[in-house]
Parts: sequence; structure tokens; C-alpha cells
Amino acid sequence: MGPLIPNGIISSDWNYIIAILIGFAFGYILEASGFSSSRKLAGVFYGYDFAVLKVFFTSAVVAVIGLYYMDYLNWIDISQLYVHPTYVWAAIIGGMIMGVGFLAGGFCPGTSLCAVAIGKIDGMVFTLGLMIGIFIFSEFFNSLEPLFERSNLGHITLVDSLNISPYWIIFIFTIIALVAFYFSDWVRSKVKKVFY
Amino acid sequence: MSKKYKLKRLLVRRYQILAAILFILAAGLVLLPKYKKNEGIAPDLLMKKMISSERYISTDLLADRLVNQDPSVLLIDTRTEKEFQNYALPNAINIPLKKLLDEDVNGYINQDIYDVIFYSNDNFYADQAWIIGSRLGYTNLYVLEGGLNKWFHTIINPELPDETMPEEAFELYSFRKAAGMYFGVGTSEQKTINKPIKKTITVKKKKKRVAEGGC
Repeated sequence: MGPLIPNGIISSDWNYIIAILIGFAFGYILEASGFSSSRKLAGVFYGYDFAVLKVFFTSAVVAVIGLYYMDYLNWIDISQLYVHPTYVWAAIIGGMIMGVGFLAGGFCPGTSLCAVAIGKIDGMVFTLGLMIGIFIFSEFFNSLEPLFERSNLGHITLVDSLNISPYWIIFIFTIIALVAFYFSDWVRSKVKKVFY
Repeated sequence: MSKKYKLKRLLVRRYQILAAILFILAAGLVLLPKYKKNEGIAPDLLMKKMISSERYISTDLLADRLVNQDPSVLLIDTRTEKEFQNYALPNAINIPLKKLLDEDVNGYINQDIYDVIFYSNDNFYADQAWIIGSRLGYTNLYVLEGGLNKWFHTIINPELPDETMPEEAFELYSFRKAAGMYFGVGTSEQKTINKPIKKTITVKKKKKRVAEGGC
């Protein structure tokens, strides 16, 4: 049956409208979870707040379990879903740059826009820096492109590269998530509480 | 009081309960009995396509498209190579039914640029090719209705309509005759040219008569 748009159950004209609605919901959840506060986001690094880790890990686990149950029941064809191509070196370098930016600024790109929406000045400054970063990257893209293209591994997943059943990967991933939650709670109990 | 206490205890343990649910669901995925999934389109969709008469293309329509040199037509002959060598429609490609799933011919069938039209002596092989292709989710597949037999009876050797038939039947007949000529076959009518009968006019010469009478 699904995915609904590629299989013509919903017209592709609805693509952007649905994307906007999901965007609203995503923004609302981010803000409602308190992710528009840079103190909360930086808390993962300092060990006094693990909400970011818990929310994103939970959403990933719930989504993947739900999708595979739907695939099992033939409600959705998992092979039709888009898998983003993996650019190994670009991802490693970009991840490091983003990590530094995340820690220094206290936002990630999505949450910074959330912060702008509720009128936070640090969020606005961060977004401005984000735009400058995008501009610099675009201007130097030609010289960065070889690095970008060379490490392209295509649309790979763990299922393809490890040749393990996806169900086992999900099970192991869920256990990792639960252990991470337990560990983060343990760390939090050891670290001095910060009120903000 | 005890109810409230129970709820409180439950709320304190809510994260453990949620974690347990997540664990059970993930373990359920591993433990579920596995089954082999069908590739290609869903059975109900295939049935719907099979019942629909849209998959057939008539010989007249095909002739019209060929005469007008429609570039989107891709004719595929599903008969054996020997039969193909004997007679085939113009610009057709021979892919015998047994070789339909070979990798080197897959590009002809699995595409969405051309209208692939299968034909065989009748519908039989072409229909099978159509079902195999459609089952795999290939699009733009058609079957020449009646196959080469009908092609022969309608385009190459059309039947003369009765005098009592409507005008359309005669128009169709003349179209089929013209199409037949385009495909290099003249009907018997065109071949025989009635030579005009030479009329011999016999001029009788008047006999010279002797002047009669006289003054």
C-alpha cells in the first residue's frame, strides 16, 4: 500500500503541503520538549540534561520499529523508502564541525530556528552564523567537491554492509538505546544539578 | 486510597514500563515468523490490470500508428526465432517468450519511454509475456489483439463489407486496404487493371450508287 505518495494513493501535489504540516508538528515538538533552550542542548555534553539524547534516540527507535511492523503487515514497502547516500569522509568532517558548532552555540540547525521563532537573541545570532556558514560552503563547493564525491558509498544501509537481518539490527539498536538511557540517568545522578 | 497508591506506584515506574514495551516490540520483530514477500505489484492490482481491456491494442490502431511512424511504438515479437525470420511486423524485435527474463533484453521491457506492444501468432504468447512483465511492475505494456492472425485478416487481407453495411465499414475497409498497401501487400483488386475494351467502330462505306432517275 504505502508509501502513499509514490504509489499514487495521495497525489504528489500534496507533497509540499504535507511536508509543511509535518514541519509545523516537528517544530512544535522541539519547542515543547524545551529544545529551544541552548542550556538544555549543551546539557548533554556537560552531563546535567540528557533530554536531547533521549528524545532523538526514542523517536528513531519508535519510528524504525513502527516502520518494520508496517512493512511486515504489508502496509508499507520498506524498499521504496528513500535512503540518503553515505559520504563517509564528508560526514565525518562535517559531523566534527557541526559538533563544535553545536557545543559552542548551543543549538543545532533545527532548534536554532525554533529559538528564533520564540524570539531568542542567541538563536538569531546562531542562525545568522549558520547562513554565513552555508554561504562559505557554497562558495568553496567546487574545491570541496572532490572530497565530497570521492567518499560516496551510495544508498547503503547496515543491512547491506553487515548482511544481518534488519530485525536483529533493530533489536540490538533498541537495547543500545535502553542502555544509553539508563547510563545517562546514572551520569545525571552523579553530576551537580543545574537549574535554568 | 489504595487505587491512588497503585496509580502513584505505576507513575513512578512509567519509564521502566515504557522501556519494557519498547523492548518487547523490538523482540517481537525478531521472533515473528518470516515469510517471503512477493516482488513486483500487488496481486489485486495485477488482477485489476488483467481484467481491463486497456491492455489490448487493435490491429487497426497499430496499423495507424505504424503508418504515421509513431516513434513511441516498440513492437516485440514473442514467437520463436524461426517464425520471426519467416514473417514479422516492420521494425519488430524478436524476444522469444523463454528469453523474456534474460538480462540483456530486460532494458527493452523495463522502461517507461516506449509503448511496448507484444504480439505472437494469436494472443497466447503475447498475453503470457504481458502478465510476466506486469507482474514485475513494468509499465506501458500492451498486447496486439488477435496477434498476427488478426493482422493478416484485417490489414493484409481485409474482408469486403456487404452492401448493406454502414458507411463506416466501407471507410474502415478502404483504410485497411491502404494500410495493407503501405505494408507492401497489394490486394487482388489493385493488381487487376481492367483494360478498356476497344470499341471497333465499323464505318460502313456507302456504296456508290448509280445516279437514279434523270432529267
